[in-house]
Amino acid sequence: MQIAGQGDLLTSLIQLVWLLFLMIFILYPNFSQRLQLSYILRDLERKLYGLKRIREEVRSRVIETLRKYSDGNVDLEKEVDQILLSFAITPESMDPYGIVYKLEHIVNTWEDTFEENVRRLCPKADRERAKTLTNLVEVARGIDYLYRVVRHYYLLGKKTSNIYIVLQIQMLMPQLMEIAEAYRQACYAFMQGQPVGDGVGVLAAAKLVEGLEKKTYEVAKDTIVHELMMDGKKLFVLRAAGPGGTVGKPADGIIKIIENEGERVKAIVMIDAALKLEGEDTGKVVEGIGAAIGGIGVDKFKIEEIAKKYNIPLYALVIYESIGEAITPMKESIAKAAEEVVERVKSIIRSKVEEGASVIIAGIGNTVGIGLS
Amino acid sequence: MFPSGRERQILNPLTFLRCLSCSTINSRPFREGDYVFGEVEEKCPKCGGDRMRIVGIYVKEPEQREKRQKQTL
Ligand SMILES: [Zn+2]
Repeated sequence: MQIAGQGDLLTSLIQLVWLLFLMIFILYPNFSQRLQLSYILRDLERKLYGLKRIREEVRSRVIETLRKYSDGNVDLEKEVDQILLSFAITPESMDPYGIVYKLEHIVNTWEDTFEENVRRLCPKADRERAKTLTNLVEVARGIDYLYRVVRHYYLLGKKTSNIYIVLQIQMLMPQLMEIAEAYRQACYAFMQGQPVGDGVGVLAAAKLVEGLEKKTYEVAKDTIVHELMMDGKKLFVLRAAGPGGTVGKPADGIIKIIENEGERVKAIVMIDAALKLEGEDTGKVVEGIGAAIGGIGVDKFKIEEIAKKYNIPLYALVIYESIGEAITPMKESIAKAAEEVVERVKSIIRSKVEEGASVIIAGIGNTVGIGLS
Repeated sequence: MFPSGRERQILNPLTFLRCLSCSTINSRPFREGDYVFGEVEEKCPKCGGDRMRIVGIYVKEPEQREKRQKQTL
């Protein structure tokens, strides 16, 4: 039995709705994409807002910290904003011959100018402090740049209603947010001069020579070397000078040592933090071959070149950590790894270097919060 | 909203000091100006000596259950 009319009406209505949907999809094939686009844009907007908050937080912390060391004669906000927007242009690579040295020249000038600018803003800061403050401004510059790039893709995607632009940036967002959070933590670490995960290479080198009789001198800009004897072998332990935040010029230091020592150098051992894969334990120590050093590649190139010229084997010891752990305050597992590295270095020296020979041990990384042992 | 609970937290490291007269190691929250291998004038809680050397600055990690999980993967 049927209640006349009513059931029919409902069915018709439902059919009509279906028909409408069908028409929308047929007449307007982009409909689903539009829908998706607006969802993605909303998601991006929320994350961009989070990014902006981190950027504002870092910027104001940086200005607050610089103000402590400023003499009050400059408009800090304006000056900092100007530094945040500064840039360096990489050399032309159409003819790559000699590009590493051109790049080195540009990067050196850029770093010196950056440091000079920070020093000018903070005349009350001492040498070590100024270096750490320079690192701090670099952190602010990093997060500022990240924010501007994400904002660019968001706005561009919105303006052109191009789902492929917003999709690309949306796919990267989880990693970018992780980096942004790391920048935020890094800002606090550099504000107070706390050791960061990246400093583990330096820490290991310092622990290797701790309490031993040694000759210490500066071998290159911001780079020192400890010269000592161990089991009849001559050790050159190289690291950036601390406790101010700097990575020094390890390649220049290694080149200078090799040029002085010549054929006597029988091995170079490099210690550095390395990016771990997801699922691997932080603080794991792994051995390998090659120049363990990050950065733009200038130091790596120069070390490889001199090692080849003198036919010196390059041994690498790396400590696993994530990108976030590298720039945030050092974790216990990373600090403990430094002690394991010391033992490993000693065993490499025992097995690979004969008595009477020289060996270079380079601890690579940022020295913030790590003094001379 | 994005920065929630765990993420907002700032990692605050501990400074580990070794007394120069009795070699006891003790820790306290990090203070600005501390750096590894630096010497500070602080009273040792055990022997009362007043010179200590900083032997480590790091964030103490809680013993994680995660570690056990990792081994199954
Ligand atoms: Zn004591």
